[in-house]
Amino acid sequence: MLKKQSLPKVAAVAAIFVAIILWRPTVLIYGLQAAGLYASIAIPMGLVLGIVHIVNLAHGEIMMVAAYSSYMLCSWLGIDPYISLIPVAIITAIFGFIIYRLTIRQTLKAPELNQLILTFGIAISLTQLANIVFTSQTRKMSFSYVSASMDIGELSFGIYNFVFLVAAIVLAYGLKFFLHKTVAGKAALAVGQNPRGAAIVGIDVDKTYGLIFALACALVGAMGAMFITRSAVFPSVGSPFTMKSFCLIAMAGIGNIPGILGASVLLGVSENFLKAFRATRGWADIVFFVLIISVILGRSIRGKRA
Amino acid sequence: MMLEVKKLEAGYGKLQVLRAVDLNVGRESVGLFGPNGAGKTTLINTIMGIVEARSGDIVLEGKSINKLKTHEIARAGIALVPQERELFPGMSVADNLELGAAFVPRGKAVIKKQLEMVFGLFPILKERYAQLVGTMSGGQQRMVAIGRALMAKPSLLILDEPSLGLQPSIVAEVFERLAILKKEVAILVTEQNVRESLKAIDRGYVMENGAVVLEDSATGLATNPHVISAYLGI
Ligand SMILES: Nc1ncnc2c1ncn2[C@@H]1O[C@H](COP(=O)(O)OP(=O)(O)O)[C@@H](O)[C@H]1O
Ligand SMILES: [Mg+2]
Repeated sequence: MLKKQSLPKVAAVAAIFVAIILWRPTVLIYGLQAAGLYASIAIPMGLVLGIVHIVNLAHGEIMMVAAYSSYMLCSWLGIDPYISLIPVAIITAIFGFIIYRLTIRQTLKAPELNQLILTFGIAISLTQLANIVFTSQTRKMSFSYVSASMDIGELSFGIYNFVFLVAAIVLAYGLKFFLHKTVAGKAALAVGQNPRGAAIVGIDVDKTYGLIFALACALVGAMGAMFITRSAVFPSVGSPFTMKSFCLIAMAGIGNIPGILGASVLLGVSENFLKAFRATRGWADIVFFVLIISVILGRSIRGKRA
Repeated sequence: MMLEVKKLEAGYGKLQVLRAVDLNVGRESVGLFGPNGAGKTTLINTIMGIVEARSGDIVLEGKSINKLKTHEIARAGIALVPQERELFPGMSVADNLELGAAFVPRGKAVIKKQLEMVFGLFPILKERYAQLVGTMSGGQQRMVAIGRALMAKPSLLILDEPSLGLQPSIVAEVFERLAILKKEVAILVTEQNVRESLKAIDRGYVMENGAVVLEDSATGLATNPHVISAYLGI
């Protein structure tokens, strides 16, 4: 419906990207890799927000729990994180389902502020629990495949982190297929759009909420297992991802899962653009605040005009 | 008996709305009339498990459904066309209709037959099959809501103010369709537009202040002085 307006925008973004490719290709390469990680963590949170209508401020912490679970499995059994991915996803799905049943479910009809305080409390509890169980020491595993690199002419860059971009694309389009093409997915979408209407046609709304929450935890759990291949694990490792995920979802608009992918590319490339210069390197971490503020301001101004 | 409501009481917080309501629906079409605020929607939502019953019983085809949840009542065979339609606005007509039948245990062949019946009743839904429901007019959305309810081949179809917000020409059309439908399914319909709906019903109840004050056949209601002065407006 915005075809006419969005064409020049798309062209402008494409032009900026081409310019960056020609001038600093690594900005784009590392930007896309970061975008993949951001998006693949944010997408499950967006799923919960779109269907259960809960802002889960413990989302990144569930990834942290998954990362520790994967770390333990891999160090005990000597397996690769990619093999631990499935058991870890099952563990976090069950963990998430229990959290949902015991806590979040009780606040579904409560004011949003109560829900935010609840999930924020869960986040802090999980972080502190990890502190007690695993101590604040960072843990890192190294894998030879992570250092895979590629040379194009003069340029040499790491390619391993593109797996996160692949994961994000698979997640975004896999979920899109699930929600729009399967009966179970359509039912979940229906619950998100109108829970009372869904109950009237025989859909078990309560069960759907629980399953979608568990599914989101399984997906971010799988990401947690992949996460330990590239980063160290420590108790507060998840919290910046909660913040960034929330901002990406807000930028994309609630319910717009492929949009999270686009917002992540914008965030990833912008951050790496600033990191490319010594003078602006320290600014990279506030990029997402600037982006979120401009998106929300832009939306409010447009809303006022309409 | 299809539906038996016995001494039903329900309300919201301190507000008691339904007072010892008794109502039966057989294999027939039954109207439920009364002024705004009489408790018609509350009664229907209590039958559907959306509002909790405080006492009394609701029996569907011999089985009490009083304690069931809304989705279980839907699966037991009651389809509701709510006053506010309660559609899935971001989904197509096709998806809305599909979901009407997806969770009620019926065979594929039945669903196919019901879809043809819905298209027969409302040909516009066939033309607009891929359109998002949220972009349709109120009248068309009402048709989607009725169609969605019929997809599950319910044993009882409940319609809450189906003519609300519709143009007079479409109101007549909706009641014409209901008159056809009552041969296939038991119907309970609430209406403020008593004159039009009398054509589509066999029997009716009048509710005032949360209690049933009158019960009669369609012709009996049409000639009742209270009904004439209060609802038929002469
Ligand atoms: N969700 C609600 N919460 C509180 N009171 C309600 C609610 N819905 C309806 N009521 C009250 O219940 C009474 C009956 O309303 P309703 O069942 O909608 O009547 P009708 O459908 O006959 O117009 C009214 O006094 C109305 O204000
Ligand atoms: Mg009403």
